[in-house]
Amino acid sequence: MSDPRILRLRLNGQPLEVSVPPERILLDLLREELNLTGTKRGCDLGTCGCCTVLIDGRPTLSCLTLAHLVAGREITTIEGVTPATGLNPVQKAFVELGATQCGFCTPGFVMTAGALLREHPHPTRQQIADAVSGNLCRCTGYSKILDAITAASRGP
Amino acid sequence: MHLDPFELHRPSTVEETMALARRYSGSFDYLAGGTDLLPNYKMHLNLRPHLIALEDVQELRGHSVDRVGAMTRLGDLERDAAFLRAYPAIAEALREVATPLVRATGTVGGNLFLETRCFFFNQSYFWRQSLGFCLKAEGDRCHVVPQKEKCYATFSGDLAPALMVLDAEAEIHGPDGARRVPVTDLYDARGDGIQRTHLAPGELLVAVHFPTAARARRSAYLKLRVRPSFDFPELGVAASAIFDGETPTELAVAAGGLETYPRRFDDLTQSLVGSPLTDERILDVATRIRGAVRPVHNTFLAPDYRKKMAGVFVRRALTRVREGTAA
Ligand SMILES: Cc1cc2nc3c(=O)[nH]c(=O)nc-3n(C[C@H](O)[C@H](O)[C@H](O)COP(=O)(O)OP(=O)(O)OC[C@H]3O[C@@H](n4cnc5c(N)ncnc54)[C@H](O)[C@@H]3O)c2cc1C
Ligand code: SF4
Ligand code: FES
Ligand code: FES
Repeated sequence: MSDPRILRLRLNGQPLEVSVPPERILLDLLREELNLTGTKRGCDLGTCGCCTVLIDGRPTLSCLTLAHLVAGREITTIEGVTPATGLNPVQKAFVELGATQCGFCTPGFVMTAGALLREHPHPTRQQIADAVSGNLCRCTGYSKILDAITAASRGP
Repeated sequence: MHLDPFELHRPSTVEETMALARRYSGSFDYLAGGTDLLPNYKMHLNLRPHLIALEDVQELRGHSVDRVGAMTRLGDLERDAAFLRAYPAIAEALREVATPLVRATGTVGGNLFLETRCFFFNQSYFWRQSLGFCLKAEGDRCHVVPQKEKCYATFSGDLAPALMVLDAEAEIHGPDGARRVPVTDLYDARGDGIQRTHLAPGELLVAVHFPTAARARRSAYLKLRVRPSFDFPELGVAASAIFDGETPTELAVAAGGLETYPRRFDDLTQSLVGSPLTDERILDVATRIRGAVRPVHNTFLAPDYRKKMAGVFVRRALTRVREGTAA
């Protein structure tokens, strides 16, 4: 390991200061050092979207991000968008409409969908499909995921 | 997957970058978005002990219709409506690079200089060790075209062909100063396939510039890939032209995803300038380009198929440019 350096950032709304070596990948920092295991490791190579987190509000693959390059930025993980009790509207829609089966891809989809709905509160089905085209799901066949995001955009 | 240790440097100007490039000459890689380099590092492909991150280098930022900084994220360029309107071929190419999540981080500079791909190369260390390493990393032979001199890995960037047909120029800074090169001349067709560009050691892309005339061009980009998301190009064809009535006064076709380097086919398309762009003329040039390209069997789709499709895509791209219809 090369010499760790201090990394300062904001994580789920809280300031964070940790000592991290230069080669540490953000996903490994989150899961292995900070125990935030909601962010999943699928492929570790950019080809599944399971590791999606928000960096300054923008969905980003944490498996292809060096931790030190997000110094000073605001990182939001699935833990940060889940209320203390219950679920957020996108998560609720996923549960109610059967958009989650094994659930492994779900945190990634929820992060991507949340960011889409902030940018386009009433997206078309095509806009939704484009937005989540970097998230793979091996269970649902996607239709129910698109249904759930559409439902979440319409409100309760 | 943890990465092997390296030193990470974060210069904030081109001058500081050049100082680092001189100091660590031969033992560093530039790191832009990292969406190409980091997967390769995870697979232990050609690791270097120093990474120079371009993230903070001021001169590499910003984008307008005239100039795109090398560190411009593809996802940001995709949201620049004026830019997309000006250059339809780039708009079409951008939308098809990887996925929106990769584009959020991937940059224009990284896209022009991404590592070439081959299914004997883009594999884990264990996999490559089992078969025996190849010329491009740790070994001395090629598994695709059996010999020991040249690597045939495929250039799989989507933007290069689109930039080529728009006469874009690369602004390059190196330890010995700055220069401008047409994007078309950046790539080395005669090299060993491992040194694939005309960048000297330490040279850096600062920005891509567009001549005013590029905005007068109609243009199109067509990509062949297995899935409509994620996949690298198995073939990418860009075409552009300026018309006087039905007659092109300027015309260009370029392709990537086929060979070690992307290229523009000026010698084969010259006959199309100065006379009406008929179906027969288009077909003739498409057939000649198909005959000229040499894909090898190192990506997902068979080389014969990619070669045939190169002809089909050239025909479609030129027809679209003639009709002036967007995708
Ligand atoms: C799942 C997946 C799918 C992909 N699909 C596609 C695809 O369909 N089409 C496609 O084109 N690409 C694809 N890519 C590759 C890559 O994401 C893009 O090409 C991206 O634009 C690379 O940019 P980057 O900034 O991440 O490059 P980096 O990984 O940072 O750099 C790539 C290379 O370029 C060099 N470099 C970067 N910037 C400069 C500079 N300014 N001057 C000199 N050298 C420089 C680096 O040293 C490195 O060798 C894919 C990647 C993944 C993970
Ligand atoms: S083309 Fe040959 S040398 Fe190049 S990466 Fe593939 S196997 Fe290796
Ligand atoms: S784990 Fe990051 S994209 Fe698969
Ligand atoms: S629910 Fe199993 S992968 Fe999507």
